[in-house]
Amino acid sequence: MNRQKRSRHHRLKRAVAPYLYLSPSLVIIGLLMLLPMVTVIGYSFQNSAVLRRDPSFAGLKHYQAIFADPVFWASLWHTLYFTCMSVVFHMTIGMIFALMLNSDRINPTLRNILRVLYILPWLFTAVIIAVIWRLLLEPNGVVNSILMQLGLIGSKIEWFSSPETALHAVTFANIWAGYPLFMVSLLAGLQGIPKDFYEAADIDGAKAYQKLIFITIPQLMPIIISISLLDFIWTMQVFPLIWITTGGGPIYSTEVLSTYTYKLAFSSYNLSQAAASAVIILLISLGLTLFYIRYQKAR
Amino acid sequence: MAEVILENICKTYGNNFRAIDQLNLLVEDGEFLILVGPSGCGKSTALRMIAGLEDITSGSLRIGGVDVVDMPPKDRDIAMVFQSYALYPHMTVFENIAFSMRLAGKPKAERKKRVDEIAKTLQLTSLLDSKPANLSGGQRQRVAMGRAMVREPAAFLMDEPLSNLDAKLRVQMRAEITSLQKQLGVTTIYVTHDQIEAMTMGDRVAVLKGGVLQQVDTPKRLYESPVNAFVAGFIGSPSMNLFEGTLTGDELTASTFAIRLQDAAFVRRPGLRSYEGRKVVFGIRPEDLYDSSLESGRKYQTIPAKVTSIEELGSEHIVHLNIDAVRVDSGDPDAVDDFGLASNAVARFEPASAVHSGAEIRLAVDDAKFHFFDPETHLAI
Repeated sequence: MNRQKRSRHHRLKRAVAPYLYLSPSLVIIGLLMLLPMVTVIGYSFQNSAVLRRDPSFAGLKHYQAIFADPVFWASLWHTLYFTCMSVVFHMTIGMIFALMLNSDRINPTLRNILRVLYILPWLFTAVIIAVIWRLLLEPNGVVNSILMQLGLIGSKIEWFSSPETALHAVTFANIWAGYPLFMVSLLAGLQGIPKDFYEAADIDGAKAYQKLIFITIPQLMPIIISISLLDFIWTMQVFPLIWITTGGGPIYSTEVLSTYTYKLAFSSYNLSQAAASAVIILLISLGLTLFYIRYQKAR
Repeated sequence: MAEVILENICKTYGNNFRAIDQLNLLVEDGEFLILVGPSGCGKSTALRMIAGLEDITSGSLRIGGVDVVDMPPKDRDIAMVFQSYALYPHMTVFENIAFSMRLAGKPKAERKKRVDEIAKTLQLTSLLDSKPANLSGGQRQRVAMGRAMVREPAAFLMDEPLSNLDAKLRVQMRAEITSLQKQLGVTTIYVTHDQIEAMTMGDRVAVLKGGVLQQVDTPKRLYESPVNAFVAGFIGSPSMNLFEGTLTGDELTASTFAIRLQDAAFVRRPGLRSYEGRKVVFGIRPEDLYDSSLESGRKYQTIPAKVTSIEELGSEHIVHLNIDAVRVDSGDPDAVDDFGLASNAVARFEPASAVHSGAEIRLAVDDAKFHFFDPETHLAI
């Protein structure tokens, strides 16, 4: 009798224990993530959210206002351009550097030096990167002076302050800041590819580009897809780099969803509409995340 | 199909470590040659040098009459089967086998025809659309073979291709590879550390130790007339028992016992007389030791021995013994020291033997089967 009771007690303990261990993190996630998220979704359906004590229900009014706003569509397009270009170049540059660092044709000492150099951009926070590139791309900065001395440009270009170049300039700065993640991940992947694969291919008569296409890239595919998806999700939400370099200007030419939302909230104090904009970003990110999770599960 | 000729091949690494020292080998057209030796003996390095995956420091290498020393692997007309099989996990069996043809830009129809032929030979037809991850060890092994066969090379190079298989499958694949090689008639160089593979598969076996070739011969001659104590100890399982003894007249004396040698022993080895009064290493294989209480052991001289343990295998008993003599190390770094605590000799008894662990027995020795080696050089006398 007593023994039966004890065994039931033991079973119960075993069943509950995992949830007890999980509970602190679940509570923290709930308080810090779910609660604000739900609150913001609530705001997006209210008139004068936060500003008034008894806000009235607004329905889809704020969403309609956003979709009618040409600046929103411009910032959506800028976000897509900024994100796609960043991911593609992060991957390409990361891959090239990873292949270089993995090559045994380069002297090992030089390889170690290069590895440190290549990883440097990763060590800087967004603010520092923004400041560095603002200084470099200043009309009287280093980049202009080099390009002019090489005769590539005739007059000084105002990279961040002309609507034609500003979006490319911030994208460029973001590419520079973000490729090391790809480089490091792909390098780890490259080092995990068995040497036998390449030796077997050598015997079969594969040329260098064939080894890249038939062995290296297929072997790295899981890493390429995972990191690209993550990078896509992160880059879509980049705020500080753009805020500090251009602030979304000139004339909205670098406005992205994050700066657009920020301005709605803290320049126009239209917190309800900002909440609606934030919900739209959330939905896009959620879509990408679900895609990522499904991909991870499929593996 | 071609001869493979290695002349004075050396391999020295940057730190002056000599992995291969003056290797001379002639592998005849269609021959199945086994390169065998303990780990670190340079056998894989030698094979990789033939494949072109490793530079040759000095010496000459000809495959099918062509000097290939400075040629990249793809021009040497060889195919290699790797220990890991090196199958591409993202490709199907078909794509793996057809890979070299695809690289060479062969048309699809031709690739299909050739791969189908090979798949039929190797019984892989139903697996052509599978990925390597879904195959068993033996099937992967066959795919690796198929990938080598598709190129119709002048020579096959195989680097321990069976070492990833379990014991039963290994026995089966051993037979499959041997018969496949006979059927195809392609010159094959096969590296292994397993002396059973060496003995059962090859036309000839080359034994390497420390980068130096010890002996190349047929398995039978290698077993019966090893050129030195290392080959004697390495070939055969369990290993040959090697002891120190002193030769006095016709008598071979170890610590406390003596064995009278027959004239034939001296007739066969004229050099043996010169060891009169000196130390000599003598070796005897486990199957030449008998249980003196059984019929088979009656006709031989006996020496005292103590049984330390017995492994009953059904068809025979592997009996670990301690005899009063100093054991000699054959120099095989891989040798399992089954002479650990109390035993220094191994015998194979018939299953009828009733000896038990701890028993003091009389051990019958077939002295006609003794091998003799110089105590300094370990060369056969």
